[in-house]
Amino acid sequence: MAVSAINASHEAVHARYEAVDPLYREVRDIRLLGFVLFLVSDVVLFSMFIFAYLYLRNSVPNWPPITKDGMQLPRFDVAFACINSCVLFGSGATMHFAMESWKHLNKAAFNLWMIATIVLGIGFLSGQAYEYQHVPVTWTGSTMGASFFTLTGMHGFHVFVGVIYLITLYVQANRGVYTGSKYFGLTAGTLYWHFVDVIWVALFYLFYLM
Amino acid sequence: MAVAASHAGHLEQHDHIHPEPTTFIGKYIFSLDAKVIGIQYMITGLLFFIISGLLAEVVRIQLLRPEGGFVSNDTYNGVYSLHASGMIWMTIIPLMTGGFGNFVMPLMIGARDVAFPWLNLASFWIFPPAGVILFSSFLVGAPDAGWTEYPPVSVQGPPGTSLWCVAIFLIGISSTMTGLNFMVTIIKMRAPGMTFTRMPLFVWAQLATAMLNMVATVALSAALAALFIERTFGVPFYDPGRGGSPVLWQHMFWFYSHPAVYIMILPAFGFISEIFPTFARKPIFGYKMIAFSSIAIALLGFMVWAHHMFTSGMAPWLQLPFMILTMVISVPTGIKIFSWLATLWGGKIEFHAAMLFALGFIVVFTFGGITGIFLSAVPVDLHLHGTYFIPAHIHYVLFGGSIFGLFAAVYYWWPKITGRMMNDTLGAWHFWLTFVSFNATFLPMHWLGIMGMPRRVAQYRPEFQFWNDVCSIASFVLAASTLIFLYNMFTSLTRGKKAPPNPWNARTLEWQISSPPPYYNFKTIPAVLKNPYDFGEPLPYLGLGPSDKEDPHPTKPGGTPPEPAHA
Repeated sequence: MAVSAINASHEAVHARYEAVDPLYREVRDIRLLGFVLFLVSDVVLFSMFIFAYLYLRNSVPNWPPITKDGMQLPRFDVAFACINSCVLFGSGATMHFAMESWKHLNKAAFNLWMIATIVLGIGFLSGQAYEYQHVPVTWTGSTMGASFFTLTGMHGFHVFVGVIYLITLYVQANRGVYTGSKYFGLTAGTLYWHFVDVIWVALFYLFYLM
Repeated sequence: MAVAASHAGHLEQHDHIHPEPTTFIGKYIFSLDAKVIGIQYMITGLLFFIISGLLAEVVRIQLLRPEGGFVSNDTYNGVYSLHASGMIWMTIIPLMTGGFGNFVMPLMIGARDVAFPWLNLASFWIFPPAGVILFSSFLVGAPDAGWTEYPPVSVQGPPGTSLWCVAIFLIGISSTMTGLNFMVTIIKMRAPGMTFTRMPLFVWAQLATAMLNMVATVALSAALAALFIERTFGVPFYDPGRGGSPVLWQHMFWFYSHPAVYIMILPAFGFISEIFPTFARKPIFGYKMIAFSSIAIALLGFMVWAHHMFTSGMAPWLQLPFMILTMVISVPTGIKIFSWLATLWGGKIEFHAAMLFALGFIVVFTFGGITGIFLSAVPVDLHLHGTYFIPAHIHYVLFGGSIFGLFAAVYYWWPKITGRMMNDTLGAWHFWLTFVSFNATFLPMHWLGIMGMPRRVAQYRPEFQFWNDVCSIASFVLAASTLIFLYNMFTSLTRGKKAPPNPWNARTLEWQISSPPPYYNFKTIPAVLKNPYDFGEPLPYLGLGPSDKEDPHPTKPGGTPPEPAHA
């Protein structure tokens, strides 16, 4: 029973998505491709800095590198980063639930999940701010610090922009900008937020685990 | 007609477009129309072309005598750095994609505009400030490490190097946005019936260029951002004294800049692929091979960057794969050259100025391509790296390729853009003077390079003087020949003959409407039945009324203006 009800509900979502007027459908497809290509170019940006990090890392015999006075720099603290990563990955899950609620026309649940996502996003940024004050390296002190602060800083900036983006979407959704069948802005916001999550998976591995 | 009727529902969907502006600023300054933005790119690019060209003449005056003395050594370093930066980033790339891409590409695919007009507007308006920032670096000490700005010299370079970073970063953002915009436009907004294999070859070239622009330019932005923060905040990336690696810059820079040479040449391939069939009155030979070789070049272009770094101390086992891949990438280019020659074979060739430049392109670009194959061989490169052979090669492919291509494109599309004809006799004079003085300028540089004259020097040994003087004097003639071009454009604008819609009897879509095209491009989006190169057969378009050719203002009474933009 429950399964067929869910299936019926999904079919209704799909029907609504397809049934919009052809003009909107075309605009939606164009914007979707444009947004995905934007994310692709953003992936290249992160990839280049990740390449720089790996290149610098492999050009010295020891990592963490040894400073001029002969001391080896300590590794980054995995425990705190784990907690902070869970906050960000959790926000990815809440974002998914927010989008699903919207598609199934459950506005109250959408609002709840959106607020949860925004709060978790701010939580991650606060955690990162705390971490920045406690990491054993500086931006200008070593290539390790240079790569770490540049890459996580770029990522943090993307999260910051994402939080503002989600707040905008929340306000727009409650002002009636989007409907049950026309909601490309929300789709783009979801894509962006998941993209930021995926980038963090790579950075978490590269800086804390590798 | 059945096809047109079945597409009727589809046609209306293309009608979402911004309303026609009525104010001067809306029409000519902050226009959303891709055609106006294209013209803005062309005017700005022409301005930077003249500035960068004058800088080249300063270089040639300096090298008239072995002891130099025309400008100081520091100024000389800035002059050649900015000549190259200005030509590459402020002239060729914006003119090829932003200029002709914007004006011609939407017309060719039967679209009313590009996919994101506001993004297009933003792309353009980043460009003039970037150029001003670049050339204003002379005021604070111009960058002195050449257009490649290798660290550690660039890390310690004069303050203008930071301005250079900002300017190139901005133009990079502009290129990325244009690339994204064009990719979406070409993939999503083609007229009904225009399948990928019915697209004009210029559109294929723009698609491949857009891919490169979107992906590769971001790599340059990353490299520049790192250089900028290293110079400004002292963050170690490239400085070997602080654990960084100068070779890292070379990898990041060439990962962009090798694809960038294809950004600068693929659109020219597109110009040539349009001009040859039109003036040979023959279908293009090997349509699919030309189209797919553009994509092959775009993909292979990402795998050859380290051939610029054979002398940079990279691992010797890496040299062989990069050498072989570099030789492989000449295969798709060779396919194009032979397809063009086969297109000309047995054709009834009309020697208009555009065709002369296209033929000149084949001659000099092939020559430059062959010296490129010399350089791809590691042993030869070790000998020639850093000599005048390198400027000789790059000018044969960038001047002989890209700039000849741009001249051909200007002569070809000028009637469509301005609605007036250019003087063909002056065009022929321009071509022959350019062709002869071009070869006289750059051919001796090969010999200077083989004799061992290093590039980027303000003084040289006396035995090199004779050929340097030949280069310099020929370069003055080259500059003078450009004056003919400017005069021709100016007189055409003021006194030129009115251009008919299709002066060359070409078959692509942009020639089927009035010159200049109306704001909405097409009253009704046509349906496309075949590819555009079947000369001798009826035009393969349905739904192009006779009124498309006559009435340049479809929004005036009598026309049916499309609905305004959809939010």
